[in-house]
Amino acid sequence: MSGPTKVDDTTAAPAPARKRRSGTIPARWRWIALALLLAAAVYAPFQLVPFHVFQLTMVLVYAVALLGLNLLVGHAGQISLGHGAFFAIGAYTSAVLVDRLDVPYLLTLPLAAAVAFLVGFGLGVPAMRLRGLYLALVTLAIAIFLVPLLKRFEELTGGSMGLTLPKPVPPAWSGLAEDQWLYFLALGVAVLAFLVAASLLRSRVGRALHAVRDNEIAAEVMGVRLSSYKTLAFAWSAMFAGVAGCVYTWVIGFVSPDSFTVNLSITLLAGLVVGGLGSLSGPVLGGLFVMFVPSISQDINDAAPGVIFGLLIILVMYVAPQGLAGLAGRLIKKIPRKE
Amino acid sequence: MAGFLQQVVQGLGAGAIYASLALALVLIYQFTGIVNFAQGELAMFSTYVAWQCMAAGLPFWVALPLTLVVSFAGGMLIERVIIRPVEGAPELTIVIVTVGLFIFVNAAAGWIWTFLIKDFPNPFPGGALELGGVSLSFSTLGVLGVVALVMGLLYLLFQHTKIGLGMRAVAANPASARLVGIRVGWTLALGWGLAATVGAVSGVLVAPLLFLEPNMMAGVLIYAFAAATLGGFDSPLGAVVGGLVVGVAETLAGAYVGFIGSDLKVGVPLVIILGVLLLRPQGLFGRAAVERA
Amino acid sequence: MSELVVDDLVAGYGDARVLHGVRFTVKQGEVCAILGPNGAGKTTLLRALSGMVRTRGTVTLGGTELSGRSPDTIARLGVAHVPEGRGTFMPLTVEDNLRLGAFVRRGRAEVDSDLDRIYTYFPVLKTRLKQAAGSLSGGEQQMLAIGRALMLRPRLLLLDEPSLGLAPLVTRELFRIVQAINAEEQTTVVVVEQNAHLALGIAQQAHVLETGRIVLSGTAEEIRADEQVAQSYLGYRV
Repeated sequence: MSGPTKVDDTTAAPAPARKRRSGTIPARWRWIALALLLAAAVYAPFQLVPFHVFQLTMVLVYAVALLGLNLLVGHAGQISLGHGAFFAIGAYTSAVLVDRLDVPYLLTLPLAAAVAFLVGFGLGVPAMRLRGLYLALVTLAIAIFLVPLLKRFEELTGGSMGLTLPKPVPPAWSGLAEDQWLYFLALGVAVLAFLVAASLLRSRVGRALHAVRDNEIAAEVMGVRLSSYKTLAFAWSAMFAGVAGCVYTWVIGFVSPDSFTVNLSITLLAGLVVGGLGSLSGPVLGGLFVMFVPSISQDINDAAPGVIFGLLIILVMYVAPQGLAGLAGRLIKKIPRKE
Repeated sequence: MAGFLQQVVQGLGAGAIYASLALALVLIYQFTGIVNFAQGELAMFSTYVAWQCMAAGLPFWVALPLTLVVSFAGGMLIERVIIRPVEGAPELTIVIVTVGLFIFVNAAAGWIWTFLIKDFPNPFPGGALELGGVSLSFSTLGVLGVVALVMGLLYLLFQHTKIGLGMRAVAANPASARLVGIRVGWTLALGWGLAATVGAVSGVLVAPLLFLEPNMMAGVLIYAFAAATLGGFDSPLGAVVGGLVVGVAETLAGAYVGFIGSDLKVGVPLVIILGVLLLRPQGLFGRAAVERA
Repeated sequence: MSELVVDDLVAGYGDARVLHGVRFTVKQGEVCAILGPNGAGKTTLLRALSGMVRTRGTVTLGGTELSGRSPDTIARLGVAHVPEGRGTFMPLTVEDNLRLGAFVRRGRAEVDSDLDRIYTYFPVLKTRLKQAAGSLSGGEQQMLAIGRALMLRPRLLLLDEPSLGLAPLVTRELFRIVQAINAEEQTTVVVVEQNAHLALGIAQQAHVLETGRIVLSGTAEEIRADEQVAQSYLGYRV
């Protein structure tokens, strides 16, 4: 129960493990794996039926949102139980711009990102003065509050009925079907998001965030201006969620308040935890998880996805705090050693 | 004036329910420094247990004690099996585990009893007491009475029994409690058991007002959080006072602030939580110095 | 016949070892002083005896094995530990603090009469019964901690730096009371102290601990006589 020992644990345990992992897998192999993955991602929509292409598109959407959540939870160690709210803000920004102002849909992406970033920043200023638990409380309350708020501003948001939008039409030069075009849009956004996140984490900002996560007090002593980095992490994280929400609107063509209940926020956190906190591949695995676990297990029972998610989260926290990505990392580490 | 008083009475009725769930939250926080995000869901599950007992033909006043016993045992079991392995882990880990528990219990209830809403009988008689133009429904009076009773029983337990003394010692200084021979692990489990029992009471009080369904407590939980934050997370008395204040504030805001209306009332707990955390983080009755790193 | 037997005791925190094979015995009813400079492992030694840290080696009290047991079990076997920092239950009343000392005992009447006994040792506590323990002064809290420990009717009393942070006058008074308690109740005492002079005043046996090892043992008189040696050897004033 004593404070000091706990601090020691968090500083000692995760940091060296991460360093070791990136050290043992040769950079060359990682690039080859990444290239193969990307090639497979480009090839996939031409081999799958539209419904499966749609599912993969949604995986990418969730992956982008999880990437943002991961910045906050996995890298800065702050808990958000309300990230669905930023997802919703991005989705609604795009929808309202298209529906009310006839803005071309591609242009809504930077705008949705900007709005989510600003709202995240605005909320981040007070929220980031709060320690762990309380941030979780506040973000949860925000997520719950957003739904009636969206219903209230009916003229703008369409109230409970929501807004129905035309789906993006694939340009003639591409020769793609609608589902394929949406898929490539999502893929493009996802790749861009991953590049941005990766470079963000490699910069001194990333190091500052890790310092915040691993030891708040030490980070403060070392001169990391905690609250400003935490606020920025919150804002970036909100921005990624907003971007994901925007692409969601393109793909689904419909937004309504009840698509963005607190369940979405909790599902996102669950996906991230299972996928792997603090790793770059975690969000992709989490996205697969958020998409496919419900659609597969719902056949057994409506409640099955929740039961599976709930149990898995708890199990992951016991046995593999770095999630599926961490497990995969551990396996990969073992292979080269045997050779 | 009578209209205003009527709103206050209604707010107190709602507040008493928030207070009961907040009390459950505080019980666990006091001993372990954990905010149990699954508290509402555990209460919901307990309420289903009561419903199941009644569906099997038991009268309410038999089903209730049975439910409380089951909840108590369930709470202790959860502490021993699920919380124990992460005791002393970083806050992030513990919060995520209780969120996992939240998802699991919610879904488990849906699996067992489906997501269709069920009627839950009101244990209190219908009708109301007229008092100077203000009508006090027996249901509201009943809820207030039950919460006062729970509070009183907890007070007796903590202040006038040896077990209660041990529990307060664990809350105040776990290491030292161990040194005087208190089995701290069991005391923590006892705290979870008590919290689950108090939560069950709150679920049984909520169910007749709303409908019984797996998501019943999600809305109440956020008010209970606001109540506990306002009163101070380590103060049972604060939880009750906080609950009543939140209930009245919410009802008055809904009735008299046109912009808020009945639909945006759920913004009230958000404002309260943010306001308290920024101005007086320890809450009205909480102890300030306790920084649980 | 030795009451407390400590044999080849190894203890530490995580990977860091603090005690490296400590060995000593204390006779029933005797006071044993553990002396030594800061960081020698004195506090860890007491923590090892009361089960607060993991240990290797054996500790027995009156033939009963203590090593490997949890603090609450060791307390139930009659070991009262006044820890570093006094272990006060701050928000609880003085009376509650004292009653907690007797938590594992049965028989309310006996406990009540023991409370009265504590008040005769520490009259000041009686005037503060309903006050929160956190509001007491440092010296009063130390008295409360010792009173709490006595409420167990311990076979073995472990005292960690009772003089820490107290005015010299208060400290002397405290040691006088510890001596009186030892004489009246025949409680075996192990006291850890930096202020060797005071501790040797009430002890029969003493051991000097340095970097986790006992480097000097003897009767209190021998150690006191060895003051010159200790001073040059340990580099601090005994």
